[in-house]
Amino acid sequence: MSITLDQVTKRYQGVPVVNDVSLDIGDGEFFVLLGPSGSGKSTLLRAIAGLSGVDHGRIALHGRDVTHVSARERGVGLVFQNYALFRHMTVAENIEFALRVRRMKGADRRQRRQELLRLVALEGMDQRLPAQLSGGQQQRVAVARALAHKPEVLLLDEPFGALDAKIREELRRTIRQVQRELGITTVLVTHDQEEAFAMADRIGVMNLGRLLEMGGPNELYTRPATRFVATFLGAANLILGRQTKDGIRFGERPVSAISAVPPHGLREHEVVAVVRPEEIEVAPTREALASGYLARGAVDEIVFTGALERMRIRLDGGADALTLAYSNGDGNPYLEVTRTQHEQRAFEVTKGQSVAIGVRRVHVLPTPLSSFTVCAANEALMIALAQQPMLVELASRMKTRISTRMEPMLGVPGAQCGDATAFSGTTVIASQPDVAHQAEWLLQRGADEVLVLPVNALPPQRVLIHWADEAVRSATLAVSASVLRHVSAEAVYIGILPQLTPTAQRPHGMRALLDARSEAQAVHGLEMRTELRFGDVAPELRRQLGESPGQMLILGVCDVTRLAEPFGSLLESARWPVLLVRRENRENEDSVP
Amino acid sequence: MAATQQSAAVEDSATRPGGASIRSSLTRWFFIGLSLLFLAALLLAPLATVFATALDKGVRAYVRSFADPDTAAALRLTLITALVVVPLNTVFGLAASWAIAKFEFHGKSFFITLIDLPLAVSPVISGLIFVLLFGLHGWFGTWLQDHDISVIFALPGIILATMFVTFPYVARELIPLMQQLGNDEEEAAITLGAGGWMTFFRVTLPKVRWGLVYGVILCNARAMGEFGAVSVVSGHIRGLTNTMPLHIEILYNEYNFVGAFAVASLLTLLAVLTLVVKTLVERTGYRRR
Repeated sequence: MSITLDQVTKRYQGVPVVNDVSLDIGDGEFFVLLGPSGSGKSTLLRAIAGLSGVDHGRIALHGRDVTHVSARERGVGLVFQNYALFRHMTVAENIEFALRVRRMKGADRRQRRQELLRLVALEGMDQRLPAQLSGGQQQRVAVARALAHKPEVLLLDEPFGALDAKIREELRRTIRQVQRELGITTVLVTHDQEEAFAMADRIGVMNLGRLLEMGGPNELYTRPATRFVATFLGAANLILGRQTKDGIRFGERPVSAISAVPPHGLREHEVVAVVRPEEIEVAPTREALASGYLARGAVDEIVFTGALERMRIRLDGGADALTLAYSNGDGNPYLEVTRTQHEQRAFEVTKGQSVAIGVRRVHVLPTPLSSFTVCAANEALMIALAQQPMLVELASRMKTRISTRMEPMLGVPGAQCGDATAFSGTTVIASQPDVAHQAEWLLQRGADEVLVLPVNALPPQRVLIHWADEAVRSATLAVSASVLRHVSAEAVYIGILPQLTPTAQRPHGMRALLDARSEAQAVHGLEMRTELRFGDVAPELRRQLGESPGQMLILGVCDVTRLAEPFGSLLESARWPVLLVRRENRENEDSVP
Repeated sequence: MAATQQSAAVEDSATRPGGASIRSSLTRWFFIGLSLLFLAALLLAPLATVFATALDKGVRAYVRSFADPDTAAALRLTLITALVVVPLNTVFGLAASWAIAKFEFHGKSFFITLIDLPLAVSPVISGLIFVLLFGLHGWFGTWLQDHDISVIFALPGIILATMFVTFPYVARELIPLMQQLGNDEEEAAITLGAGGWMTFFRVTLPKVRWGLVYGVILCNARAMGEFGAVSVVSGHIRGLTNTMPLHIEILYNEYNFVGAFAVASLLTLLAVLTLVVKTLVERTGYRRR
């Protein structure tokens, strides 16, 4: 491995900007770190270069641990977005800088410089000053300068950011060519998904300091595992559907879907499906569709972009309406559609026209959290909860919706649900006295997860994870991973052993802890720290949560009939949010791929 | 941003044909004329007076006034002070601006305010501070007397007071420049294997050299011309602790106008000389580009 990162964490004023990133980059690989601005990708690159230290974790280059080695001795080549050429030196002096530092002889220096200038196609420019070169040429010089001392790793920090489209294309090709010719391991940081697709052997997508997913460009585009990657890599329509024994259903319509094994076993439950705009077909009538029928809608907007036509289709309402996971702000459910010239010729569409919509290909996200349903016994509380800032922010980051549901009999033992339909997705209730019984009530009536939310809760900076029984481990980790992808918080698993645990049994507790960590990492892509405590579970958790504000608890529970007794005070404190994850007993769901 | 917009607007109106261009050229000449008038009244006229009065009694009288040993001593003292103060303040200015531009630390804004302090305080007060510290009745006065060290009414006092008054100049020039130029070049040098000193001398110093040259010139001009602070600490001992500005005052008060203005003209010439040196340095620098 050329570059190995192990649980790298970097904080600014206590807030993690790079959060537990682990990564292996192979020899000669072209790896692209992709993410929006502020996702921590540049900070991570600077950490690899040694320009900023890390607060936690380990960095190794070619098997050598360089975590505490200075940037000067790491021997990497770094290219900056704004070139950072030495403006008072000529091109030749710039390129020879690293060689001069290494006291190489004049003749050898010249020879190496000629080699490099040929490599970046700038022969004869030796005596120019940077100010006399165009942006593209300056960046070529910067690449040559970074390669002069034959580094084993080349790091590129948004190298095309300041260049116009044509030059960018050309320089991309040059860099890819140089990289192949030298076989040098390269990491490129960018926010441009097109650039990532064009250059990468492998892409790692970052958001909020976390490395969400890694994979080949095609793999990530067609089979993303997270909402963020699905929507960041190109446009995506997120649709809520139901996973049944026979496949995916949207409303009453089954649609064949390419999907990983559903995360909640085979029990029917709500899922989020990704439909790419180019996988949607439009036709005048349902019968004329070549693919599975989805819904009807009216064309709201058509934009011609050359090779492709982009459309927004407003879905018709009604009983069998599709449920979009989110709508674009104004509350109207739209589908994004793109069509090729060929498709346009086959069926010309005008604005306002009513069309039948079919879908060629659906990908179901393996994420357990699909949507939020706020549930309360009275309307005032329901509205307050639906507008709770932390919930609203979480939902908007997850690109999902918050629906509301009145349950006047919430928490009354033996009472029926007010609404005949089952609970789906995550149910949200307010933190108040007797909330434990309400949570029990909901979990017994089919809710997958229950979020007990104080009305004044803030987004957490630290998320504690605990499960009351090993049987809930997988489900809790899956939910935790999903939540932590959308908040910039640290994850800490708290393992608690009884106070009187014999010393001989303690290694066993440690092993359970390590197992949990490796499962979180391998299966759910969740990096978390682990802490082992001794004592009674509920008081210990309460003590941990009480230590500092801005914490949240994700708690896996097995027995949903006796929540109030151990955890009542935890849930009723109204000082921290608690997300209860229930273990589904009926099906075998231990293996989540 | 605003500047580019503005210059774009100026360019726009300048290239537009018709009446607008006549009006804009009128405006331009008006402003140029106004600035020249100001310069003539406030700068050229006094300068001319200095040389005219100095040469009033002929060149021989002018030259003779420099033969006075007290004048020679004043000139020597001024040059020594500048030679000590300017390098020290250059080093301090570089260190302070480096610290402020490159690092984040607590009390940074307080530090910047401190650097500005000598510009805000009246020079006379600056001089008094040293009298209060090192004078006979000052905090360290008795101790200094016991060890037979004289600070006030001696060279050390003059140097200290001049340093205090002139230390913001280099730092003030460099801080905004360093902040604006950023750290990228230094970081690039470090990843290429350069050490701290090499990065400083090969990358940072060349990068900020124009700001540095300008700061040093301002610092030097003030160091040679400082009157108020030095006047308080020097004691005006002829031939011993009189710097050129102080000596000019004495000569003037003695109605020795030719002598006073001759020394004044020399001080002016020194200032002009530093400006010429600066221009020459810049020239050679640009020719290399």
